[in-house]
Amino acid sequence: MTLSKHAASLRGISRIALIAGVLITGATTAHAADEPVHTVLNGLIGNYAQAARDSMTNESVKELFDKDGFRDYLDAYPVGELAGGFVWEPGMGATFTGPYSDLEIKAPFTDYLPLKEGPVLNPDKTYRIGFVFHGFNHPWLISLADTAAWEAARHPNIDIEVIDAEFDDNRMGQVIDNWVAQQYDGIVLWPAREAPMGPPVDRAIDAGIPVVSLDRRTSSQKISSEVLGNFYANGLQQGLYLKEISDGGNVIFNRKDLGSTADSIRTGAFLEVIGSEPGYEVTGNYHTKSQRTLAFQATADALQAYDDISVVYNTGGEEAMGSLDAIREANRLNSAPGGGKIIILANDDSKEVLKEVASGNVDMVAPYTPLIGDVGIRAVIQHIGAKEGLNEAPPKLIMTPNLPMITAKPMTIEGVKTVTPDNWLYAYGPAAK
Amino acid sequence: MSVANENLVSRSGGLGKTAGIWHLHSNTINLLALLLLLLIVGRILSPTFLTAENLKIVLLAIVGTSIIAFGMTMVVISGEIDLSVAGIAVLSSIAGAMFLDTGSAFLVISVTLAVGVVLGFLNGILVVGIGIPSLIATLAMLGVARALANITSSGKAFYPDDVAGYLWFGRGDIFNIPVPIVILIVAALLSIILTKFTVFGRKLYATGGNVAAARLSGIRTWRVKITVFTICGLAAAMGGILESARLSYINPAAFPGMELRVLAVTVLGGAALIGGRGTIIGTVLASMIIGVINSLLNQMGISIYVQQVVTAFIILAVVLPGLKNRLVAK
Repeated sequence: MTLSKHAASLRGISRIALIAGVLITGATTAHAADEPVHTVLNGLIGNYAQAARDSMTNESVKELFDKDGFRDYLDAYPVGELAGGFVWEPGMGATFTGPYSDLEIKAPFTDYLPLKEGPVLNPDKTYRIGFVFHGFNHPWLISLADTAAWEAARHPNIDIEVIDAEFDDNRMGQVIDNWVAQQYDGIVLWPAREAPMGPPVDRAIDAGIPVVSLDRRTSSQKISSEVLGNFYANGLQQGLYLKEISDGGNVIFNRKDLGSTADSIRTGAFLEVIGSEPGYEVTGNYHTKSQRTLAFQATADALQAYDDISVVYNTGGEEAMGSLDAIREANRLNSAPGGGKIIILANDDSKEVLKEVASGNVDMVAPYTPLIGDVGIRAVIQHIGAKEGLNEAPPKLIMTPNLPMITAKPMTIEGVKTVTPDNWLYAYGPAAK
Repeated sequence: MSVANENLVSRSGGLGKTAGIWHLHSNTINLLALLLLLLIVGRILSPTFLTAENLKIVLLAIVGTSIIAFGMTMVVISGEIDLSVAGIAVLSSIAGAMFLDTGSAFLVISVTLAVGVVLGFLNGILVVGIGIPSLIATLAMLGVARALANITSSGKAFYPDDVAGYLWFGRGDIFNIPVPIVILIVAALLSIILTKFTVFGRKLYATGGNVAAARLSGIRTWRVKITVFTICGLAAAMGGILESARLSYINPAAFPGMELRVLAVTVLGGAALIGGRGTIIGTVLASMIIGVINSLLNQMGISIYVQQVVTAFIILAVVLPGLKNRLVAK
């Protein structure tokens, strides 16, 4: 399915969410401290999206926003309430050792769509679930697989098969088709790209097998459920932080692949927030493909071209680390106009990035947790149960809770209470020394 | 004139010695002219482009690719190809990283280089000993090496922050010259000496130019090929060390697509995939051209996607005339 079709199907949801957000945010100012962070952030998303629709007065920001067509992507991305009225609070979630990474994990959402430990559904039956993703060699993705396998292991009558399709869409499609032929009971997938996974998912659904996607989306209209991340809240918070601590400056962008959901929504949301602030200027705009080396080189070259960079915006953690290394190598950390520090904004709460936040090198990070595989497994189990008449099916769109940004010192920015690295329990990946 | 040039002459259909020498020289001159042109354009577009600091950044950016390309150039001159370089760089780096806890940079680097040598040697055995075409053998090695890197590391990255001796290779300096640049210069000089001023170099060009004739001349071509694959493995491991040390980050998913970038530099430098032709000087210049283009386009804020197109067109623009000449000569 094309983006525009997604936009059409989801615009209704988004608009309801935006209206709700605006209404909620009306109360946000007064009651922000009492409201869950998910609600506060959704309200701000609604506010800033509406403001950006009405006008974007910063010409430099608007030019980039319009050129890359962020409006279409943002309108298509669902923003809404959590399933079953779930309210997430910092500190929630189970702690365990990741079966693949061998790292200690505290997963934030293990109480979301909860299932008790022990046999599920019909205890006399063994249910086969296929989990296919890409990238055992990627710290974010191996953590996703860790949480999925952990949830499956809690239920003795769940038999999970985990396959790494190694970023090969065709291979992922073949894996799904193979599970359909073997009449698996449920399938959970992390699709790298939308369009290629639509047909295999449709074939599984047509064969009566529930399918749940994680984080990214497929082009299937029939898919049972989509567990969605919180890209919108990521970019929004990067903008909020920047606006809070600065009045303007020249901004360098280290972005993911053009057209990827992570880039479109995060960068779009960031631009929405700073779009009417007069002081910001888009100086450099690079797509560094989630590669640290490319982000390093782009930043190093940008530092040569411009001696007045104030901000480096990074769509992901790899980009942030690459840009930080380049800035450090050039001895330019404190080279912003007026002798100030170059502000480095990051996404993805890996332990490595958090260490740099604690050290004051990276200024903030908006968490995007990979620890959601368990939610997908529980959702597909509940779909299997609904098919067997044992329980209600979970909703089609399963939002994951918006998470608050992490800053070196605690702050409250437009009602969002930030968390310090020491108090953030959900960082993933190996510990950086 | 070297055996290499004699082969070049016979390949070019009797154009004569002067034509053969002229081709090599003209390729180098073309590359040098292009590099100078790019530097002038860079200076016009950006006043800071020709500063020592910026040139240092350009050189640092090409160190890893260049050193690996030296090894690749030798393999290509021998008439073979090595697509496993990225896999070898990753696996050897990960193997070395297993010893980071010892705190011994010597041990980490020795293991890294040794693994590179062994994997390169294995490539040679697969190609020469078993007779698998190098395209297939090294493609298989690429897959196996990347997979083993993931298996041995459990997909986790390593941070050599505590091993100062290792980081020195990426971040240190000698008389204010960054260590990677010193290593690049030394590697280039050694490679030039090996290919141009030694008996081995003449055997290398002879093997690539006409393997049957070389064999009849008494050259043990199998030994030449195994040697260049081994050197290429060593170069890949060295490239891996320099890149990882610079970022203080040893990553099992590192260097995606590096084999093609290295091959592009090698071909742009004048090495012919049919063997017998190519120079380290050409590879150095080609690497610098790619580095300057990327830096210039980055500084102009031009998208990486456009950069890929521009780079591809420049490779075609440089390589096509030579190819046309060869076809005409045939």
